[in-house]
Amino acid sequence: MAQVSEDIAAPAGRAGWRQLRWARTTLARLGGVTLAVLIVGAYFSVRTHGQILIGSNLLGILRGLSSIAIMGFGLTVVIIAGEIDLSFAMVYGLSTNIVAILWVTHGFPVWVAILIAFGAAILVGAFNAFFTAVVKIPSFIATLGSSTLVFGLTLYIGQTQNISYQFPPIGDAVHKSDASFFHDLGSASLPGGFPEEGIWALGLLVFFSFLLTRTLFGFRLKAIGGSRAAARVVRLPVTRYIFLAFVIGACMACLAGILDFSFVGSASPDDGQADLFPVFAAVIIGGASLSGGKGTALGTVGGALLLAVLANGFALIAAGPFASQLLLGTVTVGAVVIDRFTSRGATA
Amino acid sequence: MNALVGVSIRGLHKRYGDTVALAGLDLEARPGEILGVAGPNGAGKSTMVKILAGEVGWDEGEILVDGRPWSSDVGSNRVAVVHQEPQLFPNLTVGENIVAGLANGWSWPRPGDEHHTLFEELDVYRFRQRLLGELGLAVQQRTEITRALVRDARVMLFDEPNSALTPDESSEFFRLARQLAAAGRVVMLISHRLTELAANSDRVAIILDGRCVRVLEGEAKTPESIAEALVRGIGGAPAGEAGSPRSVGAGGDTALELVRATDHARLFRNLDFAVAKGTVTALIGVEGSGGREIVQACAGLRRFSGQVRVDGRPRRQGQLQRSVSFVAADRAESLFSNLTVGENLVIRLDDEISHGVLGLRRRRMRALGEDLRSRFDVKAPGLNVGVRALSGGNQQKVAIAAAVGSKPHVLALEEPTRGVDISSKAEIYEILRAFAADGGTVLLFCTEIPEVYEVADRLHVVSDGRLSEPLAVPSFADMEALAKAVASLEAHARRPTVAA
Repeated sequence: MAQVSEDIAAPAGRAGWRQLRWARTTLARLGGVTLAVLIVGAYFSVRTHGQILIGSNLLGILRGLSSIAIMGFGLTVVIIAGEIDLSFAMVYGLSTNIVAILWVTHGFPVWVAILIAFGAAILVGAFNAFFTAVVKIPSFIATLGSSTLVFGLTLYIGQTQNISYQFPPIGDAVHKSDASFFHDLGSASLPGGFPEEGIWALGLLVFFSFLLTRTLFGFRLKAIGGSRAAARVVRLPVTRYIFLAFVIGACMACLAGILDFSFVGSASPDDGQADLFPVFAAVIIGGASLSGGKGTALGTVGGALLLAVLANGFALIAAGPFASQLLLGTVTVGAVVIDRFTSRGATA
Repeated sequence: MNALVGVSIRGLHKRYGDTVALAGLDLEARPGEILGVAGPNGAGKSTMVKILAGEVGWDEGEILVDGRPWSSDVGSNRVAVVHQEPQLFPNLTVGENIVAGLANGWSWPRPGDEHHTLFEELDVYRFRQRLLGELGLAVQQRTEITRALVRDARVMLFDEPNSALTPDESSEFFRLARQLAAAGRVVMLISHRLTELAANSDRVAIILDGRCVRVLEGEAKTPESIAEALVRGIGGAPAGEAGSPRSVGAGGDTALELVRATDHARLFRNLDFAVAKGTVTALIGVEGSGGREIVQACAGLRRFSGQVRVDGRPRRQGQLQRSVSFVAADRAESLFSNLTVGENLVIRLDDEISHGVLGLRRRRMRALGEDLRSRFDVKAPGLNVGVRALSGGNQQKVAIAAAVGSKPHVLALEEPTRGVDISSKAEIYEILRAFAADGGTVLLFCTEIPEVYEVADRLHVVSDGRLSEPLAVPSFADMEALAKAVASLEAHARRPTVAA
C-alpha cells in the first residue's frame, strides 16, 4: 500500500504550496544559516559595543573559520557519499607531525615532507574506504578505529614533543629558504592583514562548489549517497567513489593541518583533536544530511562562520568556557532539527 | 451454519485518498474450515489483512467475530495475522518471543490443557532457548503461530505463508493449518499459489476490485477455475490486436542466452534460457518460484555459475550490465529519492552528459531529460521537482524512461506495473511494446496474468526454478484461456517436485 500513499501525496504538490516549500527549504538551508549569523552577530555587536566588528577582529574570525571550513569541505564530500569520517581530525595531527619531524628534526626538504604527509593522508583515506566499501564495515566503526590507529602513529613519530619550525630544537637546522617558503604557505603577509588561509578557504570553496554541482563526479556522488541500492542497479562506480570521497576527506584534513602548522609555528601530537566536533557541526549546520545524498560547500562555510562568530563573541564578552560549549551543542541539535523538519516537508 | 459463529465481514469500505482499496467487501469465514482468499495485486487483499491486523482502520461496514462487533481496540488478540516474513524479534529467543507482551503469571499449558496438543504439534518447545534470528523460517512461522495461540486467537489469517518454505515444510504447514481449523478456529489463507489454494482450502473467495466476486467450493474449486475467475471481468482486446502489432519473434536471433546456469542460492539449477530479439518475453511465477531471480541474473545483478551469451557471443557475467538495463520492482532500488525528476532521467548516462569526469553538461542533461519526459509522457510539473513528488505511476515511468534512455540491448524489469494506476499501466505497456518494436528486447518477471496478456509475446511459467515451454501469448483467444493454460502448467510443474 506504500504506492497508494504516494499517489495520495501527489495532489499535494500544488504550485503555491511547492513554492512555499521551496522557499522554506532554501531559507533553512542557506538563508537559515545566514540569518543565524546575522542575529548572533547583531547580538554580540551590541554586547561588545562594536568590538566584534573591528576589522582586525573580523579577519581573525575569518582565519579561525578557514581551517574548519577546509576540513569541512572534505567531510562534506564523505557525508554526501553517505559515509562518516571520524578520523580526519587525527589525520590533521598526523600531517603536522610528519612535516615537523621529517623537516625540522631530520632535515628533509620541506616539500618532500609535505608530499609524504599527503601520501600518508591518502593511505589513511584508502584504509577507511577499503574497510567501508570492500570489507563492508560501517564507516563509523572503520574510521573510529583508524582514528585511534592514526593517533597512535602520530604519538610514535612525534615522540610526544612540541616542535617549532621558527625556533627549532637546539642541534636541528632549518634552512632559511625552507622556513620562509613554509611560512608563506599559510601565513604570508597580505595587504590589509588578510589571512592567507582565508584565501585558501575561498579558493577551495569555489573548487568544491564546482566539483559538487558542475561535474559528473558530484552528480553521481549525490546519487550514490542517496541510494546505494539504486546506485548498484544503475551501475554507478560505487566502490571507486567511496575511495575518492575518503581520500579527498583525508587530504583536506592534511592540508588544513599543514596550513595551521605554517600559521601557528609549532606542531604537537594532540593537534587537531579539538576540531573533530566543530567540523562535524559546521557541515551539519550547513545542511548536509547524515543519511547521505545532500550537502553543499557553501553551506559548510556558513556553518563554520556561525561557529566562528559564536566562539569569537563569547571570547570577547569573556563569558567563560561553558557558555560557548552550551551554545555549540544547542546550535548543532537545532540545525539537525531544522533539517529533519525541512526534509520531511520536502518529501512528505 | 450458525451465522453468529466465525468471522463476518460486511460491506467493508476503505479508501486511500482517491484510491478505493475496498468497495463493499463481504466475506464469511466459519470455524473449522480453511477459507482461501485469492486476488490479483491491488485487489484489496493486503488492505483486508492490514485492517484485520489492526494496522489501519476502515471507513464503512462492519466486522463481526462470533457475532460481536470487532475492532482492533476491543479484540486485538482475537485475530492473529501471520505474515509472509514473520514479524517478530530476531534478537530474542523463541521463548521470549512467545511471551513478550504477556501479563505476568503466564505459564506454559500443561498436558490435558486445551492447547497442549497443539503446542506439541507445533514443535517449538525444544527451540525455546535459541535465538529466533538463527532459526529457519519454518520455526519462526511456528513461533508466530504459537504466539497467537497463547493469546487465544480465534481467527488465524495466513498471508502468503509458504512462499519461502521448502515443499516439505509447506506440506507440514498445511497439515498444521488443517489442525488449527479442526480445533475450532477460523483459518484464512491468502495465497497466489492457486494449486495449493485449491488443494488445501474448503472454499476459495475471489477478490477483485475491492469486492468478493465469487466463492468457489466443491467441484468448482480447481486451480484452473480460480485462475479463470481471477481474470474474468477484466476487459481487454484479444492479445493479438492490443496496441502495436506484435511480431512473434522469428525465433532465429537470440538477444540473451543463459546456458546451464545455476544460481548460487540454488533457486534455479542447470537452466537453459534464451530471450528472442525484438520480443517481449515474460516469466510468470509466484514469489519464490525463481522467476525474479532468473531476471536478476540476466541483468547481471545476481551471481550464478554457467555461461552467458549476448547476441550469440559469449560474455562474462560482469559484462552483462553493459547490455542489460534493469528496473527493480522496488522503486527504492530504481530511483534516487534525493534527486530531481530530470536528474533521475539521466543518471544512467555517462558520455552523453559529461566531458570526462569533470565538466557536466547541464544544458545537455536538461535537453535529454526534457526529451525523455515528453517521449514517455511523464506527468511532472517540471524537471526540477523532486522525484518523490510524483505519483507512483509517474515515478515508475521515470524509472523505465531512464532505463530505456540508456539504450540497452535488453530491458529487464520486475513487475513493471506494481502499485501503478490503470492509465499509467497502459502507457507503460505501450512503452515496452514500442521498445521491442524498435528492435529492442524486453524481459519481464510478472506475477499477474492480465499484465502478461497485455504486454508479452512469449511467456514461460516458472516454478521451482524451472521454465515451461514458451507459450505464444497472442495465440490465446482471451485472458481466461491464458489464465487456464498457466494454471495447469503451474500445477503440472509442482506436482512431481512435491512427490520427489
